Amino acid sequence: MLMSFETIVFYLFAALSVFAALRVITARNPVHAALFLVLAFCSMAGIWMLLEAEFLAITLVLVYVGAVMVLFLFVVMMLDISLVQLRAGFWRLVLFGAALAGLMAFEMIWVLGSSRTSTGRVAIKHAADYSNTKELGRLMYTDYVYPFEIAAVILLVAMVAAIALTFRRRKDAKSQGVPEQVAVRKADRLRLVKMPPENRARQGLDSTEEVAR
Amino acid sequence: MIVLSDFLILGAVIFSMGVAGILFKRKNIINVLMAIELMLLAVNTNFVAFSHFRGDPAGQIFVFFILMVAAAEAAIGLAIVVLLFRSRRTIEAADWNELKG
Amino acid sequence: MNFVMSDLVPVLPEIFVLAMTCVILIADLLIRQSGRLATYMLVQLTLLGCSLILVGTHENRVIYAFHNMFVDDLMSDVLKLLTCLALSMMLAYSRLYLTARGLFTGEFMVLVLFAMLGMMVMISANHFVTLYLGLELLSLSLYTLVAMQRDSATAIEAAMKYFVLGALASSLLLYGMSMLYGATGTLELGALTQAIQSGAADRNLQIFGLVFVVCGLAFKLGVVPFHMWVPDVYQGAPTAITMLIGSAPKLAAFAFVTRILVEGLQPLMPHWSAMLVILAIASIVLGNVTAIAQTNIKRMLAYSTISHMGFLLLGILSGSIEGYGASMFYAVVYALMSLGAFGMIMLLSRADGFEADTINDFKGLSRRSPWFAFIMLLLMFSMAGVPPTVGFYAKFSVFSAAVNSGHIPLVAIAVLFSLIGAFFYLRIVKLMYFDAPESHAAISIQPDTGILISFNGLAVLLLGILPGKLMAVCAVSAQQSLLLH
Repeated sequence: MLMSFETIVFYLFAALSVFAALRVITARNPVHAALFLVLAFCSMAGIWMLLEAEFLAITLVLVYVGAVMVLFLFVVMMLDISLVQLRAGFWRLVLFGAALAGLMAFEMIWVLGSSRTSTGRVAIKHAADYSNTKELGRLMYTDYVYPFEIAAVILLVAMVAAIALTFRRRKDAKSQGVPEQVAVRKADRLRLVKMPPENRARQGLDSTEEVAR
Repeated sequence: MIVLSDFLILGAVIFSMGVAGILFKRKNIINVLMAIELMLLAVNTNFVAFSHFRGDPAGQIFVFFILMVAAAEAAIGLAIVVLLFRSRRTIEAADWNELKG
Repeated sequence: MNFVMSDLVPVLPEIFVLAMTCVILIADLLIRQSGRLATYMLVQLTLLGCSLILVGTHENRVIYAFHNMFVDDLMSDVLKLLTCLALSMMLAYSRLYLTARGLFTGEFMVLVLFAMLGMMVMISANHFVTLYLGLELLSLSLYTLVAMQRDSATAIEAAMKYFVLGALASSLLLYGMSMLYGATGTLELGALTQAIQSGAADRNLQIFGLVFVVCGLAFKLGVVPFHMWVPDVYQGAPTAITMLIGSAPKLAAFAFVTRILVEGLQPLMPHWSAMLVILAIASIVLGNVTAIAQTNIKRMLAYSTISHMGFLLLGILSGSIEGYGASMFYAVVYALMSLGAFGMIMLLSRADGFEADTINDFKGLSRRSPWFAFIMLLLMFSMAGVPPTVGFYAKFSVFSAAVNSGHIPLVAIAVLFSLIGAFFYLRIVKLMYFDAPESHAAISIQPDTGILISFNGLAVLLLGILPGKLMAVCAVSAQQSLLLH
């Protein structure tokens, strides 16, 4: 009974992720594509749960969907892309791509689906107090400490790269120059002008009287 | 009963979709980046499945590193997309014609 | 805690480079300087320090560290030393070129050092995880460097193409690695060989994984039919970055390919050797034929790279220690020639934005500057494989390795097409010596760049006359590193 429940869960999530992946590559609106990619990630996280990779499944949802996909959506909306126009020759390309990918998928399934791949492979049952997260953490900080450090360097590179590429000082941006404001003296702002008195007050009074009449 | 090859076939199908998404490259470049994410998702599923059926956590560690690199890669890829948009006002792959192969 | 001090000594060069990179990243902000001279000197000092540490910590045995993630052997030390040298030369050549274009910034130099760190990790990786992370560290830095010229539409387009195809290649490589992991249950190269030899591993999955791994490697090396990014990136990137992509990473790529195929998958040699035959022959044919039609010299050198990578594969596919040594020699020689050729393009370019990237810009160079025309002649002769330059000896050694392993028809085709390829290198020589110059503008050369490029050109000649020492080092490295299993 338990087995059949797992089977149902597998097929449900597999169907969902295949459907979502198909929509990712066919959707014309990039926002839709990004949202379908989120669906694909979430349903794949379900499959990973089934494979007892709890830590990674949660990481996929939290880090990937929560951060990376939001970054994608930000960029899509920031760039304000008009919907893609279909061009002449587009369908030829789609057919070519679909045929090639279909052939590839067929061959891969043929090899991977052969019964020999799975023989003798029964999932190892862990003890009830086995913690996937703890095990991964232990390995990460002992055996894999060298790659872990390199991974940190890669994140630093990504940070330097993203700033170096997109940061620009705008020439037309207006901002407050506080030191200059503080350092300003009266002479910079106020100019005393000596000029002969004019008789405008009298004229101004006359014109208002004109208007009043 | 779900066996190893079921997971592998799922991975293969999603991987092929990612390849197809790159081949339809007349669509805009953000979709190409998403297709690459799909391919990596398929690879990760393979690793998780093998790791589970072999009872060896090394595969899951690899997935952790792939996820991390993919996040860094997405940041740089999107930065280049922003630059491309600033210089062209379009990100359609078919307009890539400065360099002829 | 199973993490010991003795693990840290072999990785000392990497630790030093990383620490200095972080220092430079901060120092660049704080030091007031003109033309980033202080940062530049710091970077050169880092490269020098790294070389000294490499020589100082060298031990004549193979050391594994960090649970076999990392390997320190003669091959890794030699290749890392040459990588330091190549990057130092690349920075010296490109300083003025980049300063004139506003690209000689602190970020640029920091990214170059990160790329170098990536190459070092790749060169001494002994595990799929470290191989992959080193490759990505290198690639991410290079994508960014190509896009650094933000106001140039061609540079950004080149960066985008490089990025998309690079990411595709990584995915293919990872898919292959996942299959090999599934077949053998290990990610470590030595254990992989043992698992395959023991016969317990699933044969189907192994071959299936191998196909994807070879495709991924071919993409990264830029060999036919996975070469389409090479000409566009070489042409679109600023010349200094093209020089970076064309020189040191080829050394790392050689280490990457041999570590995976020879150290990890030696028992599958008949299979990958057959795949490499197709890749090598297609690259040599297409690279040499297409290069003839090019008018842009950077694009021409890109097709020349494709064919050179084909020659490099000839040594690896022969599957013998002699072949691996010859390939390593070829990679070193290629990096040297590539540095010289791109250095010459930058030498002729001017601060006003003139790039000297069409072959007509080389017309009549012998009348404008006989000495540099002679240096360019040496470099072109070496690329074409004319004796007595080192290019001849490099080609000769890979050919003889391939013949000794029985690939005689393959070598016959390679020789034929390298003769056809000689045409476009010699065309540049003809333009330099027999055509009238298009401009008579004086070539302004800084003394340091001039001396360096003269040494570079003469080294090509000198190594051609006396190749024995370098060849012996390559042969011993290959012997020590690749025959362990």
